[in-house]
Amino acid sequence: MTDAALPTFIAESRELLREMEAALLECEQGESGAEAVNSIFRAAHTIKGSSGLFGLDGIVAFTHVVESVLDRVRANSLQMDRTLAAILLECRDHIEHLVDAVADGKPDDVQLATKGESLLQKLSARAGGPATTHATATASASASASAPVAPAAGWQITVQFHTEVLRNGMDPLSFIRYLSTLGEIVELTLLTERLPAAEEFDAEACYLGFEIELASSETQQRIEGAFEFVRDDCTLQVRPKAPVASESVAEKREASDAKETKAAKNSDRSLRVDGDKLDALIDLIGELVTAGATTTITARKAGLSELNESTLRLARLVEEVRDQALKLRMVQIGPTFSRFQRIVRDVAREIGKEIRLEIGGAETELDKTLIESITDPLTHLVRNAIDHGIETAEVRRNRGKNVEGVVRLDAYHDSGSVVIEVADDGGGLKRERIIAKAMERGLITDGSSLTDGEAFALIFEPGFSTAEQVTNLSGRGVGMDVVKRNVNALRGTVELDSKEGQGTTVRIRLPLTLAIIDGFLVGVGGSSFVIPLELVEECVELGDEHRAADGDQRYINLRGQVLPFVRLREMFSIRSSASRRESIVVIRSGGKRIGIVVDDLLGEMQAVIKPLSRLFSRIRGIGGSTILGTGQLALILDVPSLLDLCLNTRQVQVAPRRALTD
Amino acid sequence: MTNNTAAKADDAERRHDQNQYLTFVLGRETFALGILSIKEILEYSAPTEIPMMPAFIRGVVNLRGAAVPVVDLCARFGRPSAAVTKKTCVVIIETRVEDESHVIGVVVDAVNEVLEIPDSEIEPAPSFGASIRADFIQGMGKVRGKFVIILDVDRVLCVEEMEMLTHAAASGEVVQPAA
Repeated sequence: MTDAALPTFIAESRELLREMEAALLECEQGESGAEAVNSIFRAAHTIKGSSGLFGLDGIVAFTHVVESVLDRVRANSLQMDRTLAAILLECRDHIEHLVDAVADGKPDDVQLATKGESLLQKLSARAGGPATTHATATASASASASAPVAPAAGWQITVQFHTEVLRNGMDPLSFIRYLSTLGEIVELTLLTERLPAAEEFDAEACYLGFEIELASSETQQRIEGAFEFVRDDCTLQVRPKAPVASESVAEKREASDAKETKAAKNSDRSLRVDGDKLDALIDLIGELVTAGATTTITARKAGLSELNESTLRLARLVEEVRDQALKLRMVQIGPTFSRFQRIVRDVAREIGKEIRLEIGGAETELDKTLIESITDPLTHLVRNAIDHGIETAEVRRNRGKNVEGVVRLDAYHDSGSVVIEVADDGGGLKRERIIAKAMERGLITDGSSLTDGEAFALIFEPGFSTAEQVTNLSGRGVGMDVVKRNVNALRGTVELDSKEGQGTTVRIRLPLTLAIIDGFLVGVGGSSFVIPLELVEECVELGDEHRAADGDQRYINLRGQVLPFVRLREMFSIRSSASRRESIVVIRSGGKRIGIVVDDLLGEMQAVIKPLSRLFSRIRGIGGSTILGTGQLALILDVPSLLDLCLNTRQVQVAPRRALTD
Repeated sequence: MTNNTAAKADDAERRHDQNQYLTFVLGRETFALGILSIKEILEYSAPTEIPMMPAFIRGVVNLRGAAVPVVDLCARFGRPSAAVTKKTCVVIIETRVEDESHVIGVVVDAVNEVLEIPDSEIEPAPSFGASIRADFIQGMGKVRGKFVIILDVDRVLCVEEMEMLTHAAASGEVVQPAA
């Protein structure tokens, strides 16, 4: 088989292994429905079939044994229970290692092979009994990497060569000749139904097929191997001739075209597309949005109403195309959540707690890059919940709680962003302990004035940990700050809710996508800035009395509430005199509301985010840049870090624009 | 056969390119840069300023849809920046740090010409006495009886060093000139 298909095989196998894992975990928890067992079997079966196509005998041999055991479970001659599921999980891991080894280009790892054997022994020990003879026999044979055992009688081979085969330099006859070295050709029927009428006949095309009865004791693989060179140029079916095991016939046929089976199974018509192609498309659409904005501006200047109308129509279409394109990158978070089943199981077992993982909102969609980048922080939070959140069974019993702890992962959309929650029903955070620790570490001087929210936020400070003992899972004081940093890097925020004795909920709020945002364009002096629109609550004019009292009073009375504000001009040291009118953009972020004073309000826009160079990686208050319709660059405000900056006014007062010389 | 000659020609061209330098003016001095790191030369247009940056960062410009930072070489060398004239240009340079490539623009007062300076005409950098930091100098090229400073692009536009300086500026720690 061609090497080009190998990455597809690896990707598919990994996907199947994930499905298998999820179903096995279900079984282990005693919820084993027939559907779960079937899906485990299907996964094992498809992996076996596809690896056979690639001649990966090691995987075929191992998976075959697993599959036979599964088949007996399916036929109800073997009971699926916790122990069996646990062993099968190990087997699944082993298959994953085998696939990984193939991916790394070293399929013949001796260590892996020995490990596989010991696993198979364990499996056959558990699955013992009279019916296992087949499995154990293969298990012992698997060391010599034998393929599925062939019935000795013979094989029925149907082969249809494609029309191109002669032009590709292949001679069908030579394959038949080669077959005769593998056994004796008992009967050969020529299949001529594809022969066209004489006038359409192309002398260079092949129209023939053969039905061959081969008496051979060779394995199916060897026989299929005979057609290795024309594998892409023919339709091949190899069946055992004798109707010995009807199950096995169906199985072989299926295996010989694993791809088709899979396609048929996932009849939801999905396509596998290279991520880079999607990125290129999104980039192009970004340019399109920018160019569209330019056209709209030009049209408005020209003052032709017809032109205006058509550019507006165009802009609407572009917007739709953009939304559709961004949807292409959206994937459900479910598979990512399911992966935590395994982590929860393993970790809980390791530290001897009983913990169940509940999953909600699995169908919530978000950008694929976001999912990839959020996995690590999530893992950390889940581990934290297991290790520190959930109490030991004894403590839980004493507190009158259910002995089994619950960790819950949830995802949902909320006003233009995605919220991911990690909740546990454990002991909750102890406010006094956090404050004591923070004072000990010198993070705060007095904790009495802090609200609960502010106190809990302290655990996101670097070097903070209240765990009494350090376990090998967490508690070393690195972690929550890293979680916060990672989430902030994705333009997201983290909040934490906790009730002592009842549990903790960590809420991660992320933007839907990283590529484009709806922004609100403002001007200060000659510079333009974009504020993410979802944060903007309203705009009000800055009254003269506040402008006059420049200096001390940095708040206004907004309908009876105090609204503190900052001047972007001062904050960013923009060198231009104050304009005649100023406005306040009221923004809300992380539960706080502040005003940002700007000169001009320039309206809403779609901003394609252009990341800034690494030179600016540590800049605060600015999250990126975007290109305006005029071709000019505008900076996108990073509101959470801007707020941090405001809270730390000391730093703002230092005149930053000073030549650095040495 | 043809492939072979093509490869040879390519190779020769590269060797030829390696000795090609772009000379440009900063203040009253002439400097040179190897042309292999130069992507293009743009007419100067005012960059978008980035707040809280040290003076040697002029801002960012839109280079066909990408935000490219622009460095003021005068300020980078610790001199006052020159006024923008009709001859002021932005030279777009690509540097590589490990596997990452960085595109950075530098402001120069005027570009002169591309010329060839054979290795034999390049003297090592003097350990002191030059008008800029010694580690910025790759060598001293002799051109028509005069020396031009050939800049070491990777040092002058060292992203890590500049990142540290921008960070210091952004967080308000003022780096004092050595007393």
